[in-house]
Amino acid sequence: MNEAIRMQISAFVDGELPENEAELLLRRLSQDAELRDQVAEYLAVGRAMRGEAGFAGASELRERVLAEIDEREPEHAVVVDTTQSRSVWRPVAGAAVAAAVALLAIVGFQQTNVDAGDSEALLANDIVNTVEAESYTVPPSDETLRQYILSHEAATADSGANGFNSRMVTLEFSQEVDDLETEAEDEDSIDATDTSADSDNQ
Amino acid sequence: MTRMPRHVANIFVLAAVLVTTAALADAMSPHDWLARMSGAVQTTNYEGTVVRVRGGSAEAMKVVHVVSDGVIREKVVAQEGNGLEIIRNGNEVHCILPESKSVLVEEWDDQSTLFSTLPSSDIHFGADYDVSIVRKERVAGRQAMLLAVRPHDEYRYGHRIWLDIETGFPLQTKLVDNNGATIEQVKFADISLDAEIHSSAFAPSYSLDSFTWITEPRESHRQVVESDWRAADLPSGFAAESVNEEQLPGTEQPVTHILYSDGIARVSVFIASKTSADIGGKSRLGTSNSYSVANGDYVITAVGEVPASTVEKIAKSVQRN
Repeated sequence: MNEAIRMQISAFVDGELPENEAELLLRRLSQDAELRDQVAEYLAVGRAMRGEAGFAGASELRERVLAEIDEREPEHAVVVDTTQSRSVWRPVAGAAVAAAVALLAIVGFQQTNVDAGDSEALLANDIVNTVEAESYTVPPSDETLRQYILSHEAATADSGANGFNSRMVTLEFSQEVDDLETEAEDEDSIDATDTSADSDNQ
Repeated sequence: MTRMPRHVANIFVLAAVLVTTAALADAMSPHDWLARMSGAVQTTNYEGTVVRVRGGSAEAMKVVHVVSDGVIREKVVAQEGNGLEIIRNGNEVHCILPESKSVLVEEWDDQSTLFSTLPSSDIHFGADYDVSIVRKERVAGRQAMLLAVRPHDEYRYGHRIWLDIETGFPLQTKLVDNNGATIEQVKFADISLDAEIHSSAFAPSYSLDSFTWITEPRESHRQVVESDWRAADLPSGFAAESVNEEQLPGTEQPVTHILYSDGIARVSVFIASKTSADIGGKSRLGTSNSYSVANGDYVITAVGEVPASTVEKIAKSVQRN
């Protein structure tokens, strides 16, 4: 990524990029996967350098993306029904802009933990879901697949290669599974409580 | 005779070292570089910030790594999301998960480093890959030599490796598909090589008093077996490296696990009876692809850091002799 683009991204995040340049930047990001990776890397490095945990840098970007959406006049309103968040996506000026904004949103949001109470984050999550083209079946709760990947890594390590990075992924993956299981247990316990409450009432 | 001032002499020595290093770097073959890299990865102490970019998202990790008398001490702290910390002392590894207030204690036998599946100089290039020196570039403020490992067909990924010219240490690696698009990139944003690192750098960032400590089973039960299952349509260069029968945690029936490799890429094939939890079609986790297909009373699953078409081709070709 050259210095000019870096400065543009920085200005965009800070809300200091002129509107016409912002539009060009978004358009370019929508067409250039390599550049999106570079921007994601740039933002991550910035966060790490500032010692920020979580997604502080991404929230600045989120603010800018949402502000950008707000500022646009609806020419051809694109309404995305976000059933999950029980809210309606604000009209966006043209599908191309929506796609560009959404692609930028992916850069900033894909790694974030979405707080269920944060409607803007849910909104961003919906955009990500809308734009992701690849419909891979990724069953994160599939214990069998998890075991296969762990076993594959162990065998790969035994044969001389190494898998530190994939270990990281697997740990993150394991935690996702654990979280899902915890949620399921919580729901079970809520159901059980409800049932016992029902029986108490009878 | 007038003596040269010491600082002038030092400048001459430094200049001579730089010229010699640059000349040596220019004279080295790609295999020399890979051999140097293998040594550097095993012996170099370092600390820095690593950024991993994958699928449009990036995460930064702070890394401290020391090797002393062959024992690896390492601490990796995720700067994003859940604040995961991995602290390694020899083979004992503590994975600290602050959100769930737990510590997983594992034993790793392998000499894992930060970089996954780096090609080694032992690989016989020529048939399925070639390796070449591309150019010099700067990474993390240091001069690096860019090496390209390119596959000859669409069944495997290529590698780009930026090696520190002074030490041979990998400052950046990239896994790329056939179109040159990045699958995953691991890159040092900043790095100190062979720095003095105090042992306090390996202490956890959290007070672990109230954390739950969980000791993971060392590994699944594995036994080398002979199997009449085989993949009939492997991409060229792939051959079986090992065949095991494994009892994976949480499963009732053992599975047959065949590991195929072309020397760089590795694909595992699992053959399980259909009673186990079914996995449908293709899926992707990180840089790994998997593909599952039913075969009579069995489910065949291929998993590996290769393109989706490769695991599909291999899984579909598995048959019993």
